[in-house]
Amino acid sequence: MTLADGLKAAALLFVAAIVQVSIFSQVDILGGVPQLVLVVLVAVSLLRGSVAGATAGFFAGLVVDTATLGQLGLTSLVLTVSGYCIGRYGETTGRDRAHAPYLSVAVVTFLFAFGVLIVHFMLGERAPAGAVMRGVWPTVVLNLILTGPAYALVRRLLRPRERADYATEVQLLG
Amino acid sequence: MAPPNRSGRVAVLGSSLQRSKPNPYPSKARSAMVRRAVLAILVVVALAMLTISFRSPTSGVLHDAQSYGASALRPFEVAATRVARPFRDGYNYVTSLTSAKSELKKYKKMAQDYRAEALRNAAAAQQNDDLQALLRYESGPRYPQDYRAVNTAVISFPSGPFAQQLVIDVGTKQGVRLNTPIVSADGLVGRVTNPGRSTSVVTLLTDPDSAVPARDLKTHVSGLIRHGQGGTLILDRVAKNQVVNKGDWIVTRGTVDRRYPDEYPYGIPIGRVISVGTSDIASFLTVQIQPLAQLDSLDSVAALIPTKHRSHP
Repeated sequence: MTLADGLKAAALLFVAAIVQVSIFSQVDILGGVPQLVLVVLVAVSLLRGSVAGATAGFFAGLVVDTATLGQLGLTSLVLTVSGYCIGRYGETTGRDRAHAPYLSVAVVTFLFAFGVLIVHFMLGERAPAGAVMRGVWPTVVLNLILTGPAYALVRRLLRPRERADYATEVQLLG
Repeated sequence: MAPPNRSGRVAVLGSSLQRSKPNPYPSKARSAMVRRAVLAILVVVALAMLTISFRSPTSGVLHDAQSYGASALRPFEVAATRVARPFRDGYNYVTSLTSAKSELKKYKKMAQDYRAEALRNAAAAQQNDDLQALLRYESGPRYPQDYRAVNTAVISFPSGPFAQQLVIDVGTKQGVRLNTPIVSADGLVGRVTNPGRSTSVVTLLTDPDSAVPARDLKTHVSGLIRHGQGGTLILDRVAKNQVVNKGDWIVTRGTVDRRYPDEYPYGIPIGRVISVGTSDIASFLTVQIQPLAQLDSLDSVAALIPTKHRSHP
Protein backbone atom coordinates (compact mmCIF):
# COMPACT_ATOMS: atom_id res chain seq x y z
CA MET A 1 0.00 0.00 0.00
CA THR A 2 1.48 3.31 -1.07
CA LEU A 3 1.42 6.49 0.98
CA ALA A 4 -1.12 8.03 -1.39
CA ASP A 5 -3.38 5.01 -1.00
CA GLY A 6 -3.02 5.22 2.75
CA LEU A 7 -4.00 8.88 2.77
CA LYS A 8 -6.96 8.21 0.52
CA ALA A 9 -8.13 5.35 2.70
CA ALA A 10 -7.68 7.45 5.85
CA ALA A 11 -9.67 10.32 4.33
CA LEU A 12 -12.42 7.94 3.23
CA LEU A 13 -12.70 6.33 6.64
CA PHE A 14 -12.57 9.69 8.40
CA VAL A 15 -15.47 11.01 6.33
CA ALA A 16 -17.36 7.75 6.78
CA ALA A 17 -16.86 7.88 10.56
CA ILE A 18 -18.03 11.50 10.79
CA VAL A 19 -21.07 10.79 8.62
CA GLN A 20 -21.77 7.71 10.72
CA VAL A 21 -21.79 9.47 14.08
CA SER A 22 -23.48 12.65 12.84
CA ILE A 23 -26.09 11.41 10.38
CA PHE A 24 -26.45 7.67 10.01
CA SER A 25 -26.56 6.89 13.71
CA GLN A 26 -29.96 8.56 14.00
CA VAL A 27 -31.40 6.72 11.01
CA ASP A 28 -33.42 3.93 12.55
CA ILE A 29 -35.31 1.70 10.13
CA LEU A 30 -37.10 -1.24 11.73
CA GLY A 31 -34.52 -1.21 14.51
CA GLY A 32 -31.56 -1.27 12.13
CA VAL A 33 -28.92 1.43 11.79
CA PRO A 34 -26.84 1.63 8.59
CA GLN A 35 -23.13 1.36 9.32
CA LEU A 36 -21.31 3.25 6.62
CA VAL A 37 -17.98 3.05 8.40
CA LEU A 38 -18.19 -0.74 8.45
CA VAL A 39 -19.04 -0.91 4.74
CA VAL A 40 -16.16 1.39 3.79
CA LEU A 41 -13.82 -0.60 6.01
CA VAL A 42 -14.83 -3.80 4.25
CA ALA A 43 -14.15 -2.19 0.87
CA VAL A 44 -10.72 -0.94 1.94
CA SER A 45 -9.84 -4.29 3.50
CA LEU A 46 -10.89 -6.27 0.43
CA LEU A 47 -8.92 -4.03 -1.88
CA ARG A 48 -5.82 -3.58 0.25
CA GLY A 49 -5.45 -6.68 2.38
CA SER A 50 -5.25 -7.67 6.00
CA VAL A 51 -2.58 -5.31 7.34
CA ALA A 52 -4.24 -2.31 5.73
CA GLY A 53 -7.62 -3.61 6.91
CA ALA A 54 -6.51 -3.95 10.51
CA THR A 55 -4.87 -0.52 10.50
CA ALA A 56 -7.89 1.05 8.83
CA GLY A 57 -10.21 -0.59 11.37
CA PHE A 58 -8.12 0.70 14.25
CA PHE A 59 -8.10 4.23 12.82
CA ALA A 60 -11.83 4.26 12.04
CA GLY A 61 -12.68 2.96 15.50
CA LEU A 62 -10.49 5.60 17.08
CA VAL A 63 -12.29 8.36 15.18
CA VAL A 64 -15.72 6.98 16.12
CA ASP A 65 -14.83 6.55 19.80
CA THR A 66 -13.26 10.00 19.97
CA ALA A 67 -16.14 11.76 18.22
CA THR A 68 -18.75 10.15 20.46
CA LEU A 69 -16.62 10.39 23.64
CA GLY A 70 -17.25 6.70 24.00
CA GLN A 71 -15.02 4.11 25.58
CA LEU A 72 -11.77 4.61 23.76
CA GLY A 73 -10.55 1.40 22.16
CA LEU A 74 -13.84 -0.50 22.12
CA THR A 75 -14.78 0.18 18.51
CA SER A 76 -11.12 0.10 17.50
CA LEU A 77 -10.70 -3.37 18.92
CA VAL A 78 -13.66 -4.86 17.09
CA LEU A 79 -13.01 -3.03 13.82
CA THR A 80 -9.32 -3.99 13.86
CA VAL A 81 -10.18 -7.69 14.04
CA SER A 82 -12.98 -7.24 11.46
CA GLY A 83 -10.67 -5.41 9.05
CA TYR A 84 -7.99 -8.06 9.43
CA CYS A 85 -10.38 -10.96 8.81
CA ILE A 86 -11.95 -9.34 5.76
CA GLY A 87 -8.50 -8.39 4.50
CA ARG A 88 -7.39 -12.01 4.73
CA TYR A 89 -10.50 -13.11 2.90
CA GLY A 90 -9.78 -10.54 0.19
CA GLU A 91 -6.18 -11.68 -0.08
CA THR A 92 -7.09 -15.31 -0.41
CA THR A 93 -10.38 -16.86 -1.46
CA GLY A 94 -12.36 -13.66 -1.87
CA ARG A 95 -10.26 -11.98 -4.50
CA ASP A 96 -11.85 -11.32 -7.87
CA ARG A 97 -15.22 -12.56 -6.61
CA ALA A 98 -18.08 -10.24 -7.48
CA HIS A 99 -20.04 -11.30 -4.43
CA ALA A 100 -17.12 -10.81 -2.04
CA PRO A 101 -18.09 -7.28 -0.86
CA TYR A 102 -21.70 -8.30 -0.19
CA LEU A 103 -20.76 -11.52 1.55
CA SER A 104 -18.11 -9.72 3.58
CA VAL A 105 -20.46 -6.94 4.63
CA ALA A 106 -23.15 -9.39 5.69
CA VAL A 107 -20.72 -11.49 7.71
CA VAL A 108 -18.85 -8.58 9.24
CA THR A 109 -22.08 -6.90 10.30
CA PHE A 110 -22.87 -9.95 12.40
CA LEU A 111 -19.31 -10.20 13.66
CA PHE A 112 -19.24 -6.55 14.59
CA ALA A 113 -22.58 -6.67 16.41
CA PHE A 114 -21.63 -9.75 18.39
CA GLY A 115 -18.08 -8.52 18.91
CA VAL A 116 -19.33 -5.33 20.54
CA LEU A 117 -21.83 -7.39 22.53
CA ILE A 118 -19.09 -9.68 23.81
CA VAL A 119 -16.81 -6.80 24.75
CA HIS A 120 -19.65 -5.13 26.69
CA PHE A 121 -20.36 -8.44 28.38
CA MET A 122 -16.69 -8.92 29.28
CA LEU A 123 -16.59 -5.44 30.77
CA GLY A 124 -19.54 -6.31 32.96
CA GLU A 125 -21.79 -3.80 31.24
CA ARG A 126 -25.30 -4.29 29.97
CA ALA A 127 -25.25 -6.66 26.99
CA PRO A 128 -28.78 -6.94 25.56
CA ALA A 129 -28.36 -9.92 23.26
CA GLY A 130 -32.06 -9.93 22.34
CA ALA A 131 -32.02 -6.32 21.18
CA VAL A 132 -28.81 -6.93 19.23
CA MET A 133 -30.36 -9.96 17.54
CA ARG A 134 -33.47 -8.02 16.60
CA GLY A 135 -31.49 -5.08 15.22
CA VAL A 136 -28.80 -6.97 13.34
CA TRP A 137 -31.05 -8.28 10.54
CA PRO A 138 -32.34 -4.91 9.31
CA THR A 139 -28.82 -3.55 9.79
CA VAL A 140 -27.47 -6.24 7.45
CA VAL A 141 -30.06 -5.28 4.82
CA LEU A 142 -29.25 -1.57 5.14
CA ASN A 143 -25.53 -2.25 4.95
CA LEU A 144 -26.00 -4.41 1.86
CA ILE A 145 -27.86 -1.53 0.22
CA LEU A 146 -24.90 0.73 0.97
CA THR A 147 -22.35 -1.81 -0.21
CA GLY A 148 -22.76 -1.32 -3.97
CA PRO A 149 -22.19 2.43 -4.14
CA ALA A 150 -19.65 2.48 -1.31
CA TYR A 151 -17.55 -0.30 -2.81
CA ALA A 152 -17.68 1.31 -6.25
CA LEU A 153 -16.47 4.61 -4.79
CA VAL A 154 -13.67 3.02 -2.80
CA ARG A 155 -12.65 0.88 -5.77
CA ARG A 156 -12.49 4.01 -7.89
CA LEU A 157 -10.22 5.74 -5.41
CA LEU A 158 -8.14 2.71 -4.48
CA ARG A 159 -7.49 0.78 -7.63
CA PRO A 160 -7.48 -2.99 -7.15
CA ARG A 161 -4.07 -4.43 -6.47
CA GLU A 162 -1.98 -6.25 -8.97
CA ARG A 163 -2.40 -9.99 -8.85
CA ALA A 164 1.22 -10.25 -7.80
CA ASP A 165 0.42 -8.46 -4.53
CA TYR A 166 -1.96 -11.12 -3.34
CA ALA A 167 -1.08 -13.80 -0.88
CA THR A 168 0.47 -16.88 -2.30
CA GLU A 169 -0.80 -19.40 0.19
CA VAL A 170 -4.04 -19.78 -1.72
CA GLN A 171 -4.16 -19.70 -5.51
CA LEU A 172 -7.23 -19.75 -7.65
CA LEU A 173 -7.34 -22.34 -10.34
CA GLY A 174 -9.17 -21.81 -13.56
CA MET B 1 4.13 -39.59 -24.41
CA ALA B 2 2.84 -36.63 -22.43
CA PRO B 3 4.86 -33.44 -22.54
CA PRO B 4 6.72 -32.78 -19.32
CA ASN B 5 5.26 -29.26 -18.85
CA ARG B 6 1.57 -30.24 -19.01
CA SER B 7 -0.76 -28.68 -16.46
CA GLY B 8 -3.81 -29.80 -14.53
CA ARG B 9 -6.01 -27.69 -16.79
CA VAL B 10 -4.78 -29.64 -19.83
CA ALA B 11 -5.62 -32.90 -18.19
CA VAL B 12 -9.08 -31.86 -17.03
CA LEU B 13 -10.38 -29.59 -19.74
CA GLY B 14 -8.36 -30.76 -22.64
CA SER B 15 -7.42 -27.21 -23.41
CA SER B 16 -4.22 -26.36 -25.11
CA LEU B 17 -3.81 -23.27 -22.90
CA GLN B 18 -1.09 -23.52 -20.37
CA ARG B 19 -1.21 -21.93 -16.96
CA SER B 20 1.23 -19.09 -16.72
CA LYS B 21 4.12 -19.55 -14.43
CA PRO B 22 3.61 -17.93 -11.06
CA ASN B 23 5.14 -14.50 -10.81
CA PRO B 24 7.67 -13.80 -8.15
CA TYR B 25 5.22 -12.39 -5.57
CA PRO B 26 6.46 -9.34 -3.66
CA SER B 27 4.14 -10.31 -0.82
CA LYS B 28 6.34 -13.27 -0.15
CA ALA B 29 8.64 -10.85 1.56
CA ARG B 30 5.87 -9.87 3.93
CA SER B 31 5.75 -12.85 6.09
CA ALA B 32 2.74 -14.07 8.00
CA MET B 33 4.64 -13.21 11.15
CA VAL B 34 4.76 -9.52 10.28
CA ARG B 35 1.07 -9.54 9.44
CA ARG B 36 0.17 -11.17 12.72
CA ALA B 37 2.53 -8.88 14.61
CA VAL B 38 0.74 -5.83 13.22
CA LEU B 39 -2.61 -7.29 14.26
CA ALA B 40 -1.30 -8.17 17.71
CA ILE B 41 0.14 -4.70 18.28
CA LEU B 42 -3.08 -2.98 17.22
CA VAL B 43 -5.21 -5.29 19.38
CA VAL B 44 -2.94 -4.75 22.40
CA VAL B 45 -3.04 -0.98 21.95
CA ALA B 46 -6.84 -1.07 21.61
CA LEU B 47 -7.12 -3.23 24.72
CA ALA B 48 -4.83 -0.90 26.65
CA MET B 49 -6.91 2.11 25.66
CA LEU B 50 -10.09 0.25 26.53
CA THR B 51 -8.75 -0.71 29.95
CA ILE B 52 -7.64 2.82 30.80
CA SER B 53 -10.86 4.31 29.44
CA PHE B 54 -12.95 1.80 31.38
CA ARG B 55 -11.14 2.45 34.64
CA SER B 56 -11.39 6.26 34.44
CA PRO B 57 -14.16 7.18 32.00
CA THR B 58 -14.46 10.85 32.97
CA SER B 59 -10.96 11.85 34.02
CA GLY B 60 -7.30 11.17 33.37
CA VAL B 61 -4.80 11.82 30.61
CA LEU B 62 -6.54 9.60 28.07
CA HIS B 63 -9.89 11.27 28.72
CA ASP B 64 -8.27 14.69 28.31
CA ALA B 65 -6.69 13.60 25.04
CA GLN B 66 -10.01 12.20 23.88
CA SER B 67 -11.69 15.43 24.88
CA TYR B 68 -9.23 17.45 22.80
CA GLY B 69 -9.74 15.04 19.92
CA ALA B 70 -13.51 15.45 20.20
CA SER B 71 -13.05 19.23 20.12
CA ALA B 72 -11.01 18.90 16.95
CA LEU B 73 -13.67 16.69 15.33
CA ARG B 74 -16.54 18.95 16.38
CA PRO B 75 -16.46 21.26 13.31
CA PHE B 76 -16.72 18.24 11.02
CA GLU B 77 -19.64 16.82 12.98
CA VAL B 78 -21.42 20.17 13.02
CA ALA B 79 -20.87 20.53 9.27
CA ALA B 80 -22.23 17.03 8.61
CA THR B 81 -25.25 17.68 10.81
CA ARG B 82 -25.96 20.95 8.98
CA VAL B 83 -25.70 19.26 5.61
CA ALA B 84 -28.16 16.58 6.71
CA ARG B 85 -30.60 18.94 8.41
CA PRO B 86 -32.53 20.10 5.29
CA PHE B 87 -33.14 16.47 4.35
CA ARG B 88 -34.30 15.61 7.84
CA ASP B 89 -36.53 18.66 7.95
CA GLY B 90 -37.98 17.75 4.56
CA TYR B 91 -38.68 14.22 5.71
CA ASN B 92 -40.27 15.43 8.93
CA TYR B 93 -42.34 17.96 7.00
CA VAL B 94 -43.72 15.34 4.66
CA THR B 95 -44.49 12.87 7.44
CA SER B 96 -46.13 15.53 9.62
CA LEU B 97 -48.44 16.64 6.79
CA THR B 98 -50.44 13.46 7.09
CA SER B 99 -51.46 14.14 10.67
CA ALA B 100 -51.37 17.94 10.66
CA LYS B 101 -55.10 18.59 10.44
CA SER B 102 -56.18 16.31 13.25
CA GLU B 103 -53.31 17.49 15.43
CA LEU B 104 -54.23 21.13 14.88
CA LYS B 105 -57.71 20.51 16.23
CA LYS B 106 -56.35 18.62 19.21
CA TYR B 107 -53.78 21.29 20.03
CA LYS B 108 -56.32 24.11 19.78
CA LYS B 109 -58.40 22.40 22.43
CA MET B 110 -55.31 21.80 24.56
CA ALA B 111 -54.26 25.45 24.22
CA GLN B 112 -57.58 26.59 25.64
CA ASP B 113 -57.23 24.28 28.62
CA TYR B 114 -53.65 25.27 29.25
CA ARG B 115 -54.41 28.98 29.08
CA ALA B 116 -56.89 28.65 31.90
CA GLU B 117 -54.53 26.41 33.85
CA ALA B 118 -51.62 28.82 33.35
CA LEU B 119 -53.62 31.65 34.90
CA ARG B 120 -54.38 29.53 37.95
CA ASN B 121 -50.76 28.44 38.19
CA ALA B 122 -49.46 32.01 37.94
CA ALA B 123 -51.65 33.04 40.85
CA ALA B 124 -50.53 30.03 42.88
CA ALA B 125 -46.87 30.66 42.09
CA GLN B 126 -47.17 34.28 43.21
CA GLN B 127 -48.79 33.17 46.43
CA ASN B 128 -46.06 30.57 46.90
CA ASP B 129 -43.32 33.19 46.47
CA ASP B 130 -45.00 35.46 49.01
CA LEU B 131 -45.33 32.66 51.56
CA GLN B 132 -41.73 31.57 51.08
CA ALA B 133 -40.57 35.14 51.62
CA LEU B 134 -42.63 35.34 54.82
CA LEU B 135 -41.21 32.06 56.12
CA ARG B 136 -37.66 32.82 54.94
CA TYR B 137 -37.85 29.43 53.32
CA GLU B 138 -34.42 28.08 52.46
CA SER B 139 -34.03 25.97 49.35
CA GLY B 140 -31.54 24.96 46.72
CA PRO B 141 -31.61 26.28 43.18
CA ARG B 142 -35.15 26.39 41.80
CA TYR B 143 -36.08 25.65 38.24
CA PRO B 144 -36.13 27.65 36.02
CA GLN B 145 -35.31 30.97 37.71
CA ASP B 146 -32.08 29.81 39.41
CA TYR B 147 -30.64 28.22 36.30
CA ARG B 148 -28.90 29.60 33.26
CA ALA B 149 -29.79 27.73 30.10
CA VAL B 150 -26.85 27.10 27.78
CA ASN B 151 -28.49 26.32 24.47
CA THR B 152 -26.60 23.97 22.22
CA ALA B 153 -26.85 21.74 19.20
CA VAL B 154 -26.89 17.97 19.22
CA ILE B 155 -23.94 16.92 17.10
CA SER B 156 -23.87 13.17 17.37
CA PHE B 157 -26.23 10.32 18.14
CA PRO B 158 -24.38 7.26 19.35
CA SER B 159 -27.35 4.98 19.01
CA GLY B 160 -27.75 1.26 19.41
CA PRO B 161 -28.99 -1.15 22.01
CA PHE B 162 -26.08 -0.56 24.37
CA ALA B 163 -26.70 3.04 25.39
CA GLN B 164 -29.22 5.78 24.78
CA GLN B 165 -26.90 8.73 24.53
CA LEU B 166 -26.12 11.76 22.42
CA VAL B 167 -23.29 14.25 22.16
CA ILE B 168 -23.90 17.97 22.62
CA ASP B 169 -21.82 20.89 21.49
CA VAL B 170 -20.92 22.32 24.92
CA GLY B 171 -18.49 21.16 27.56
CA THR B 172 -16.65 22.23 30.66
CA LYS B 173 -15.57 25.45 28.95
CA GLN B 174 -19.20 26.56 28.97
CA GLY B 175 -19.79 25.50 32.57
CA VAL B 176 -21.17 22.03 31.97
CA ARG B 177 -20.30 19.53 34.69
CA LEU B 178 -20.97 15.89 35.42
CA ASN B 179 -24.73 15.35 36.01
CA THR B 180 -25.74 18.72 34.56
CA PRO B 181 -29.46 18.39 33.66
CA ILE B 182 -30.28 18.65 29.97
CA VAL B 183 -33.70 19.82 28.81
CA SER B 184 -35.39 20.54 25.51
CA ALA B 185 -38.18 23.02 24.88
CA ASP B 186 -40.63 20.26 25.80
CA GLY B 187 -39.13 18.73 28.91
CA LEU B 188 -36.34 16.78 30.54
CA VAL B 189 -33.96 14.98 28.20
CA GLY B 190 -31.32 13.51 30.51
CA ARG B 191 -28.08 14.41 32.20
CA VAL B 192 -24.43 14.84 31.32
CA THR B 193 -22.50 11.66 32.04
CA ASN B 194 -19.20 12.46 30.35
CA PRO B 195 -18.27 16.13 30.15
CA GLY B 196 -15.54 16.91 27.67
CA ARG B 197 -13.74 20.16 27.04
CA SER B 198 -16.13 21.44 24.39
CA THR B 199 -18.47 18.48 23.83
CA SER B 200 -20.30 16.30 26.33
CA VAL B 201 -22.10 12.98 26.39
CA VAL B 202 -25.71 13.11 27.56
CA THR B 203 -27.41 9.96 28.79
CA LEU B 204 -31.08 10.05 27.86
CA LEU B 205 -34.02 9.23 30.10
CA THR B 206 -34.62 6.16 27.97
CA ASP B 207 -31.23 4.68 28.84
CA PRO B 208 -31.61 1.47 30.85
CA ASP B 209 -29.22 2.81 33.50
CA SER B 210 -31.12 6.06 33.93
CA ALA B 211 -33.30 6.59 37.01
CA VAL B 212 -34.86 9.96 37.79
CA PRO B 213 -36.79 10.66 41.00
CA ALA B 214 -40.13 12.09 39.92
CA ARG B 215 -43.56 12.93 41.29
CA ASP B 216 -47.09 13.27 40.08
CA LEU B 217 -47.90 16.97 39.98
CA LYS B 218 -51.53 16.42 40.96
CA THR B 219 -51.48 13.59 43.48
CA HIS B 220 -47.89 14.16 44.74
CA VAL B 221 -47.09 10.48 44.41
CA SER B 222 -43.36 9.89 44.03
CA GLY B 223 -41.52 7.25 42.06
CA LEU B 224 -38.55 6.58 39.83
CA ILE B 225 -38.63 7.24 36.12
CA ARG B 226 -37.10 4.28 34.29
CA HIS B 227 -37.05 3.21 30.68
CA GLY B 228 -40.06 1.32 29.36
CA GLN B 229 -41.09 -0.48 26.21
CA GLY B 230 -41.12 1.22 22.80
CA GLY B 231 -39.55 4.55 23.73
CA THR B 232 -41.86 5.16 26.66
CA LEU B 233 -40.98 5.57 30.31
CA ILE B 234 -42.42 4.06 33.46
CA LEU B 235 -42.91 5.57 36.88
CA ASP B 236 -41.49 2.77 38.97
CA ARG B 237 -41.72 2.06 42.70
CA VAL B 238 -45.25 3.41 43.11
CA ALA B 239 -47.08 1.42 45.80
CA LYS B 240 -50.44 -0.10 44.92
CA ASN B 241 -52.29 2.00 47.45
CA GLN B 242 -51.12 5.25 45.82
CA VAL B 243 -53.25 7.08 43.30
CA VAL B 244 -51.96 8.02 39.86
CA ASN B 245 -54.42 9.00 37.15
CA LYS B 246 -54.20 8.82 33.41
CA GLY B 247 -53.30 12.24 32.03
CA ASP B 248 -51.41 13.42 35.14
CA TRP B 249 -48.23 15.41 34.62
CA ILE B 250 -44.99 13.98 35.95
CA VAL B 251 -42.15 16.31 36.95
CA THR B 252 -38.77 15.90 38.61
CA ARG B 253 -39.02 15.50 42.36
CA GLY B 254 -35.94 17.53 43.31
CA THR B 255 -34.00 17.23 46.53
CA VAL B 256 -35.94 15.82 49.46
CA ASP B 257 -33.08 15.14 51.85
CA ARG B 258 -30.25 17.67 51.94
CA ARG B 259 -27.75 14.93 52.65
CA TYR B 260 -28.55 13.38 49.29
CA PRO B 261 -29.07 16.25 46.88
CA ASP B 262 -30.81 15.29 43.67
CA GLU B 263 -29.18 15.99 40.32
CA TYR B 264 -32.37 17.50 38.99
CA PRO B 265 -34.19 20.49 40.48
CA TYR B 266 -37.86 20.22 41.31
CA GLY B 267 -40.38 20.87 38.57
CA ILE B 268 -38.78 19.96 35.24
CA PRO B 269 -41.57 18.43 33.15
CA ILE B 270 -40.90 14.82 32.20
CA GLY B 271 -44.07 13.46 30.67
CA ARG B 272 -47.69 12.55 30.99
CA VAL B 273 -49.27 9.36 32.33
CA ILE B 274 -50.73 7.34 29.48
CA SER B 275 -51.77 4.24 31.39
CA VAL B 276 -51.97 2.91 34.93
CA GLY B 277 -52.13 -0.79 35.52
CA THR B 278 -51.66 -3.33 38.23
CA SER B 279 -51.49 -7.07 38.66
CA ASP B 280 -51.94 -9.45 41.57
CA ILE B 281 -48.34 -10.58 41.65
CA ALA B 282 -46.68 -7.17 41.15
CA SER B 283 -45.69 -5.15 44.19
CA PHE B 284 -46.05 -1.80 42.46
CA LEU B 285 -48.33 -0.05 40.02
CA THR B 286 -47.38 -0.09 36.35
CA VAL B 287 -47.46 3.57 35.39
CA GLN B 288 -46.55 4.23 31.79
CA ILE B 289 -45.32 7.72 30.88
CA GLN B 290 -45.12 9.34 27.47
CA PRO B 291 -42.05 11.61 27.56
CA LEU B 292 -42.65 15.20 26.54
CA ALA B 293 -39.28 15.60 24.85
CA GLN B 294 -38.93 13.99 21.44
CA LEU B 295 -35.91 11.97 22.48
CA ASP B 296 -35.36 10.34 19.11
CA SER B 297 -35.23 13.55 17.07
CA LEU B 298 -33.49 16.21 19.08
CA ASP B 299 -31.73 18.97 17.19
CA SER B 300 -30.99 21.31 20.06
CA VAL B 301 -31.15 21.15 23.82
CA ALA B 302 -30.25 23.32 26.80
CA ALA B 303 -27.85 22.56 29.63
CA LEU B 304 -29.06 23.91 32.97
CA ILE B 305 -26.22 25.61 34.81
CA PRO B 306 -27.19 26.68 38.36
CA THR B 307 -26.68 30.37 39.07
CA LYS B 308 -27.50 30.03 42.75
CA HIS B 309 -25.78 27.65 45.09
CA ARG B 310 -27.29 26.33 48.26
CA SER B 311 -26.14 28.16 51.36
CA HIS B 312 -24.81 25.81 53.97
CA PRO B 313 -25.74 26.47 57.59
